[in-house]
Order: sequence, then C-alpha cells, then structure tokens
Amino acid sequence: MLEQPATTPPQRQAATAQETAHVASGLRARKRRKDRLTNGLAYFVLGVIALIMLYPFYWTLITSFEPTGNIYQAKLWPSGFSFKNYVEVFQGTTVPFWRMVLNSVIICTLGVTLTVSFAALAAYPLAKMRFPGRDLIFYAILTLMVLPNEAGLIVNYSTTVNLGLLRQDNPVLNVLAQYAAVVLPGMASIVGLFLIRQAYLGVPMELIEAARIDGARELTIWRRVMLPLALPTIVAFSILEFVAYWNSFLWARIVLRDKELLPLSAGLLELSGTFSTNSRAVMAGAVLTILPILIVFAFGQKYFMKGIEGAVKG
Amino acid sequence: MTIPTRRESRREQHKRGGTGAQVTVRNTLIAYAFMLPFLILLVVYHTWPVFFGTYLAFTKYNVISPPEWVGLDNFRELTSDEQFWSGLRNSLKYILVVPIIQGLSIAVAMLVNRPMKGIGFFRTAYYVPVVTSFAVVGLIWTWMYQQEGPVNFVLQALGLMKEPHSLLNNPFTALYAVMFVTLWKGIGYYMVLYLAGLQAIAPELEEAAVIDGATRLQVFWNITLPGLRPTILVCSLLSTISAIKVFEEIYVMTSGGPAGSTYTALFYTYSRAFVDFKFGQAAAAGLIIAVISILFGLVNFRLTRGGRADA
Repeated sequence: MLEQPATTPPQRQAATAQETAHVASGLRARKRRKDRLTNGLAYFVLGVIALIMLYPFYWTLITSFEPTGNIYQAKLWPSGFSFKNYVEVFQGTTVPFWRMVLNSVIICTLGVTLTVSFAALAAYPLAKMRFPGRDLIFYAILTLMVLPNEAGLIVNYSTTVNLGLLRQDNPVLNVLAQYAAVVLPGMASIVGLFLIRQAYLGVPMELIEAARIDGARELTIWRRVMLPLALPTIVAFSILEFVAYWNSFLWARIVLRDKELLPLSAGLLELSGTFSTNSRAVMAGAVLTILPILIVFAFGQKYFMKGIEGAVKG
Repeated sequence: MTIPTRRESRREQHKRGGTGAQVTVRNTLIAYAFMLPFLILLVVYHTWPVFFGTYLAFTKYNVISPPEWVGLDNFRELTSDEQFWSGLRNSLKYILVVPIIQGLSIAVAMLVNRPMKGIGFFRTAYYVPVVTSFAVVGLIWTWMYQQEGPVNFVLQALGLMKEPHSLLNNPFTALYAVMFVTLWKGIGYYMVLYLAGLQAIAPELEEAAVIDGATRLQVFWNITLPGLRPTILVCSLLSTISAIKVFEEIYVMTSGGPAGSTYTALFYTYSRAFVDFKFGQAAAAGLIIAVISILFGLVNFRLTRGGRADA
C-alpha cells in the first residue's frame, strides 16, 4: 500500500510519455503538411508582390531596347533589340547627357563627403566631451528635427539668392557657386548626427581617456579612435546620403538657372520634356539613372537597411 | 584601439593635474570647433527657415525686394482662394494612403519574416522602389498608366474595367493612381522598419501563447500587434506627415492636373512661390500645412496610445 504510489507514477509516466511521443509525431507530421501548404501559399503571395514591385522596372528596361513598335503595350519580351535609344541619349543632341553624369558625380561626391564629415565631427563632442551648453545644443537639434518646416524650400531659395550663389558674373566661380547652392541646404543632416553619435556612445571612455593621457590631440583621437570604431555606421550613413543626393531633383530644378549643371535625375525630367517624340530614349535615360543606385544598393544592402532602422530609431 | 595605454604616461598626466576631459575654456573651444561647420549650416538652412518662414507668412515678399509687413492679409487671401482649399482637401484625402500602406507593410513584413529559402531576394526586391528616385518612378508609372499600357491591360484582364482609360488624365482616377505609386514606392521602406519591430518581439511570448492553445489570429492580435505598437506609432506618424506633404510624385506625374484633381496643399505652396513669386502667400500656406501636420501628429500619438507596447 505504501509502496504503490511510489512505483506507479514512473510506469504511468512512461506510458504517457510514449503516448505523447506518438501524438507529438502525429502532430508534427500534420504540422509539416500544413507548413508545406502555408509555405507554398506564402511563396505565391511573395511572388505576386515581387512581380508588382519589379515588373515596371523590367518593362522599362525591355522597352528601352526596342527600336520601334507599340511602345506602351504590356509585354514580357522586347519586340526587337537595338541600342538606338541609348545612342541617342549618349550623343546628347538635346540634353547634355555626359555633362549631367559629371554634375551628378560632382554633387554626390561633394555632398556625401561633406555631409558625412560634418556630422561625424559634430557628433564627437556631443557624445564624448563635457562642455557648457552641450545639453542645450543637443535638445535644440532634437526639437528642430520634429518641427515641421513647410516653408523650408521657400526660405532656402531666398537664402541662396541672397548669399549671391546664383549670380551670373564670373563663368568659373558661378559654376562652383551653383554646385554649392545645390549641395549646401542638405549638408547639415540631423539624422546623420544622431546615427553617428549613437555609434560613438558605444566607444569605451577608457580608450579616449588613455589617448588623452598620452597627449593625443582631440582631432587625432577623432580620426584614429572614433572614426575607425564607428566605421560601419559611417559607411551606412554614406550610402544613405549617396542615394539621397543621387536621387534628389526638385531643389536642383528650382535653384539651377543653368540647365547644363543639372544632375542626372533632374536632367531626366528635362529629357522627358524635350524628347517627348521618343519616349524610348527617356526610358533609356531612366535605366541609366537607376543603374548606379542599384549597384551601390546591391553591394551595400546590409549597411543600408541598418542605416534606415537606425535613422528612424535615432 | 591604435593608441596603447601606458601606465607611466597616465601617472605623468596625474602629476600635471588631470586629463583632457575636464571642463576648461580650451576644451570648450575645441568642442565648439568640432561642431562649428555643422552648426553654421544647421542655423542657416534649418533654424532660419523656421523663423523667417513664419515671419514671411505675414509679409509680401518676392525675394528681390525686402519683405513688406501686411499682417493677416495673406491668410485672408488664402481663405478666399478656392485653389488653396481644394489643395488642402486633396492633401487630406491623401491620408487615405496611411492605413493602407501601414496594413500592407505589416503584412509584408510578417511574410518576409518567415524563415524560408530565398526570403532575402524578396526583401531586396520590395526595397528596390524605395531607393529609386521619384523622378524615375514618376516617369515609369506615367508610362505604365498610359491608355494602352500595362496597368490598363491588368485591370481589364482582371475584369475590373470594361474599356481602357487614361487613368492619369481622368479627374476621378488621377489622385488614386498617384496614391498607388506612393504606396508602391513606400511599402518596402515601412517593411524594413516593421521587420525590425517584429524581430524585437521575444519569440518565447508567441511560443508560449501557441502552447496555451492560442490561434494564429489571437497570437497576432494579442502579442504581435501590441509588440509592434511603438513601430506603428513611428511609421504612421511618418507616413501621415508625408501624405499631407505629398509633392514629388504629383510634380513629376500630373503637375496638379487634370482639372486640379491632384492639386495638393504643398503643390499650392510650390506654385505660389516658384510660379507666381508670391513668397509671402506661399509661406502662409506652408504655415497652415505645418499646423495641420502637428495636429495630425498629436491625433496619431493618441490613437496609438503613445506607442507604449504595454498599453
């Protein structure tokens, strides 16, 4: 009587364990079947969405290679193949294509280098130095980020005019000034500042203290300690900025008097205006405009996604 | 990392009295020197527009001659300007995009969060429109929407339309056609944010609920959705503000037409300033749009209960 309760539970447990194993395997098989079904369904839905997302690009690409035919038709393959439209764009009879490529390269190089440098410089004292006014500046910048600024375009245009950046008196200096006019308004990136500051915060204080004790100047610490340790964030931010500068067209169209200085994405809209007789040439131009972005995106995708997440969280 | 920590130098430093981290005039100057280029640009191109823009709303200004104070005249003119009201109406109509884009992005994020083979391809594919310029996207969809184009082909094949229409040239469909482009371009962006939000939810929570016999719908409703609430707040805030401020897709695709059916509030601001050179009136319109977006931001905050995950 006394021993029974001690002996039966293990037996019962074994039995239930066996039962459970049986039931579990059954469940697992059913789950596997169900999983296969839901996976199949998931792939189908994913495929349909991918088609919607990518077909417009594919359609533009194949149409840009067609010499003639029904241009706007829905199609899976090009009706013919030639580089005619690309040659037309490259020759730049109505729009100086190569000049616009050069403009884009100049604007992106200037824009990305300076935007990233200024943010990386300014983030250092905000993250790792003690000085009066630090919190004030930090919160002022934070407030500025959430403050809506719908008159920004208007006032920045007025500022650009009043700074004399659109003056037409010296052919060489005016070109430089107009490039500056395009790039300057976007150069203080608050998002970038917070992203990089966040990365700096993770750098151990001991490292910086040690360098200071060794008599390193702050600029050296910034260059030799902070920048290398924040490199992944800086790369991510640089890619974000490259895409932003390459894609922006509105400000350039507003501010540039000289159509010769337009970057590619803005020039594309000029192209669509002047080339209205040959939309396929505009399509070729569109393909050429996307290409660099796709290449950068393909190589820096991991950084890019991290940057987006960080930009919103920061 | 490249700088070695030497004990003797630290001792030397102590003898000389403290490290460089101290608040001294010299260190303060160094700190401000680091921030100087950024702060100058920030003041000129971010702070100044907020104040000067507000001031301009009460003036007559054409950039060339100095602004001239006119009091509330700009606002009076705006309230009697039918074009402004129709712009505002279209901008508010555009908020329709917000619930759709957020719902779809959450669904897509949950789909691409499944551990399946090749899921990386889909994530990348959905992100391609995000990194493409609106100049290109606008042109591509202008072609896609042509009467004999692919969109009409699909709509007719699905039986949603009897005969082809030029959707961007029809005052009844143009705004919705542009909205679809906003949706198409934006889903990938919010998907990435929701994906990060989903991955921040502890998987144990969902597992425990499943063991306790919760259905998929219950898990989604009681665990996934509350867990995503902070992300939903941020995303719906971002998309509400950009819906009210919708501009670039309109600028490239329809320029406000046909018959003013896609004329939005910011398009009004733009054309008042850069077509009519009435910068004061444009600034006044901008100020009203800013106030409206703040109001919508607050509403959004309330609706998502401040984005608290526990609420």
